[in-house]
Amino acid sequence: MSSSILRALVALALATGLTAPASAADPDRTEPWPEDVLALAESLPVQDGGRVKPLSTYAAFTLLRLNGKRSLETPSGERLGPTEWLLDVLFFPRDASAYECFLVQNDEVVEALGIEHDGKDRRDRYTFDALRPGIDRMFELANEYSRVEASRRSPMQQQTIDLATNIQSFMHLAGHLDHARARLIVGEGPALEELFGGREEVGFHDVVETASALAQLYRELGADPATAESDERREVAGLFRSAASLASSGDALALFPPTTPREEDEEWLTPEDVLAGSLDSGGVPPEHTRILAAFERMVEHQGDDPAAFRDALADAHAAAVGLAEPRGEYDKIELEVTYYKAKLLTWSLALFVLAFLSAAFLWLKPRSRLLYGLSNAAALGGALAVSAAIVMRCIIRGRPPVSTLYETVLFVTATGTLVALAIELIGRRRIAVSAAAILGVVGVFIANGYEVLDKQDTMPSLVAVLDTNFWLATHVTTITIGYSAGMLAALLASIYLLTKALGLKRGDREFFRSLGKMVYGVVCFALIFSLVGTILGGIWANDSWGRFWGWDPKENGALLICLSQIAILHGRMGGYLREHGVCMAAAFGGTVVAFSWWGVNLLGVGLHSYGFTSGIHSALWTYYGLQWGVVGLGALAAWRERSLAREPARAEAGGRDIERTSGATS
Amino acid sequence: MSFLRSLARRLFAVLSSIGLACVLIILLGILTWLGTLEQVDYGLYEVQKKYFESFFLVHDAGGVPIPLPGANLVLCVLAVNLILGGMVRLRKSWSKAGILVTHLGIAMILLSGFVKMYFSEDGHVTLYENERADWFQSYFRWEIAIREEAAGGVVREYVVPQEDFLDARGERVVRLANDELPFELEVQHVLQNCWPSPKGPMFDVDMPVVDGVYLERRPMAAEAEQNVAGLYVASVDAESGARTPGILWGLESAPWTVEAGGGRWAVTLRKERYPMPFTLVLDEFTKEDHPRMNMPKSFSSDVTVEEDGSSRPVEISMNEPLRDRGLVLYQASWGPSTAGPGDPLFSTFSVVRNPADQMPLWGCVVTAIGLLLHFLRKLARHVRAEGRTA
Repeated sequence: MSSSILRALVALALATGLTAPASAADPDRTEPWPEDVLALAESLPVQDGGRVKPLSTYAAFTLLRLNGKRSLETPSGERLGPTEWLLDVLFFPRDASAYECFLVQNDEVVEALGIEHDGKDRRDRYTFDALRPGIDRMFELANEYSRVEASRRSPMQQQTIDLATNIQSFMHLAGHLDHARARLIVGEGPALEELFGGREEVGFHDVVETASALAQLYRELGADPATAESDERREVAGLFRSAASLASSGDALALFPPTTPREEDEEWLTPEDVLAGSLDSGGVPPEHTRILAAFERMVEHQGDDPAAFRDALADAHAAAVGLAEPRGEYDKIELEVTYYKAKLLTWSLALFVLAFLSAAFLWLKPRSRLLYGLSNAAALGGALAVSAAIVMRCIIRGRPPVSTLYETVLFVTATGTLVALAIELIGRRRIAVSAAAILGVVGVFIANGYEVLDKQDTMPSLVAVLDTNFWLATHVTTITIGYSAGMLAALLASIYLLTKALGLKRGDREFFRSLGKMVYGVVCFALIFSLVGTILGGIWANDSWGRFWGWDPKENGALLICLSQIAILHGRMGGYLREHGVCMAAAFGGTVVAFSWWGVNLLGVGLHSYGFTSGIHSALWTYYGLQWGVVGLGALAAWRERSLAREPARAEAGGRDIERTSGATS
Repeated sequence: MSFLRSLARRLFAVLSSIGLACVLIILLGILTWLGTLEQVDYGLYEVQKKYFESFFLVHDAGGVPIPLPGANLVLCVLAVNLILGGMVRLRKSWSKAGILVTHLGIAMILLSGFVKMYFSEDGHVTLYENERADWFQSYFRWEIAIREEAAGGVVREYVVPQEDFLDARGERVVRLANDELPFELEVQHVLQNCWPSPKGPMFDVDMPVVDGVYLERRPMAAEAEQNVAGLYVASVDAESGARTPGILWGLESAPWTVEAGGGRWAVTLRKERYPMPFTLVLDEFTKEDHPRMNMPKSFSSDVTVEEDGSSRPVEISMNEPLRDRGLVLYQASWGPSTAGPGDPLFSTFSVVRNPADQMPLWGCVVTAIGLLLHFLRKLARHVRAEGRTA
């Protein structure tokens, strides 16, 4: 091996450590990330999960997957958001290696890796540095466990696989800018010196820029027997090998938009792709080398010259946006950044909680106009905030409101609360506004919980069968309104049953009559959407899979909702169910809706595999239990009511007997 | 006579009663629920046959047998109840117009279900690029095909539907004969899912062994289309009475041959085939993934439909089927799943001949109109009443 190649490899190893994130050569970050740098980084477009998204979205869901939440505290007490964390991982990997950002659900997982965990809770967060000694064993175990069928894995096996996946993601990100960190030794050959203007060492982007000339030089040297085995030819090969080695660790982020129109090529490029492309097509687009050079400048100035760092980031941003914009891939990026920054769901949760509290006090002081107005206004504000979130998501995705399980929760929350408020507007009974507040709080809570549990981008690419805005807009939207109304009916019915069971509003016949009417009305409303939505689903299936009805679990779930609501209406019409019975049936109907909405997804069978999720068993069974408990209390209340009704009648009948007896004696 | 009239009146009253409607709706709900849960263990096909296409069934509730009516029976009675109670007996007035229209829509959907169940054919056709077919085959049903192989190609083909030989379970023999054939076939040991295996000297089997091979019984697959049927067959020469045993298996690449009456016959066990009124040629299959992912974004097939001496290009893709002469062809799947970049891919189309193809759509429209009519009228009345109260 020639001395220059050896020097190049040593330089590489010293500069980067390749995939090892922590290296002695890394500087530490001493100042917080400036606002303007964060703003540029947040809106840097990146292709991930089949779509182009802001770097901030990528960072948020990556951190959520690793850490179980979107923020963390550094050892120095600084609280970092997702983009700040990602910038640290990219530019200050040694700092980031000491952040406790790996959530381990059960310490048995780290124990199996032979890692010390004294002083840690059973569920706790670990640093990369702490986990580093067990990484080899972790990958061995993860590899072994991944061969076990997913449904048969133990929680510990699954958690080991998840941890290994997270460690791998972190290492890829930490090594992503290796190409920008390393300086490549040019060598001493005259042709190489001429090519690089006499510089002794160059950046990765210089090699990419001159890749075709280097390849030509390599071929020319090889063609001449006198130079085929020369040091200079080896130096050229060494440069390529070093560049390829650096590029291979830069596969985490696809930050380079193609220069061709979107119809011709959809795939964005990583540094590795850029290097490969520079050899394939005989030249690399200047925008790509501009981005590469900008990252090298950022690395050069990180930690010591914030202004130069910001200028280099702005340069990379401008080059990427300049390519993405004509392809129509940047126009929604700013909106998506705004969507997540606006925290509409957090605002809506706060408003729904306010509405709930004021509605609760309203039950104590029913005549308070202030509380009534406040509860209505807050609930409406919450509903509008969720609706605004839905509208923004529609614009960002170019899709109708519902195309994922997560979006069903948002839509159910928005429509359910708005319907409840419309009922309040019609009747002004002070009941539906309470239901709106409860539904709002629970809905947003579930949406947030699901997002944390799923840990995936909530605006994912869709499988082929869902790539139809017509059916998403008709069937999916309609059936989701059906879910929403079904849940609202169950909630109103539960208020009815609990109020009776707890002996509240005793003697207020009008209260129960109004509430009973509301439940009936919402069941009617639900039936329209459930039935039409279910049939529309069949028509869609007829166009996609060739049959109207296939008894698939999701189809059966929708049918069960329809049947439960039809049974309620026919039972009422036939006189088998009266006000109290309708409420008991509607409350039970809530579990039917939950089974169809979430439960069938847990069965793991059927064609609707795009809606599968896991980890919600306990939440679902808790809901079933609560709802059945309410139905049980309702049954007890009915029994008690009937007993009380019989007693005065019996007493009255007994009294008449005595009177008759006494009348006879007198 | 009056007794009969009274009986008919009573029967009409029961069949058209709302009480019966409630019982049937609840029963259908229970069957749907049980049938959904059982799919986890038994797969859709078996559950569909047991719960949804049957008239009676016995549900196993943790070892306790519970007899139940099948969804087929429940739906039949529900259809009668819907027509008699929800349409014939229903008071004809403006207030009930919405209910009447809704019931009409539901009746249309139920009718389309019955038509689909009893009068439709469905299957699939799988083609590699530049291949053609003028037939499609069933996913589940089998048939025995007997073809005379002559020098100029196929001369005659005799087809035996599965109803004629499925009863030949175990030792029971079913004879298949045709006056035009110089031999008859004896079928035995029909297995719905099996695999041919060589019989080794170190173990015994409970099935006959033919040329060192026997059919190994396999448990029924949860995905019923993955079952591969097999059977033991013997040809008996009509003249000499000579008996030649053989095995037919659903995935056999070469047919079993019979020589009789001076001719040569190829016998195969294959999925039931149905003719198409046109020839389908797959010109190009396109599968597109989401960028930097393995998730398919779309897949579509460019085909040529040849009929009556003319041909026309058509694209069949997800959600965009081809409808032609009573047949509907859907982009169902593709393969092989192990194909690498540049490998030839095949495209599979679901093919359905369903006389009631679009009837659910019309039923949906009618149902929606009925529900809106009824409930909007009720809502308007409720709002007026609330307004008066306020």
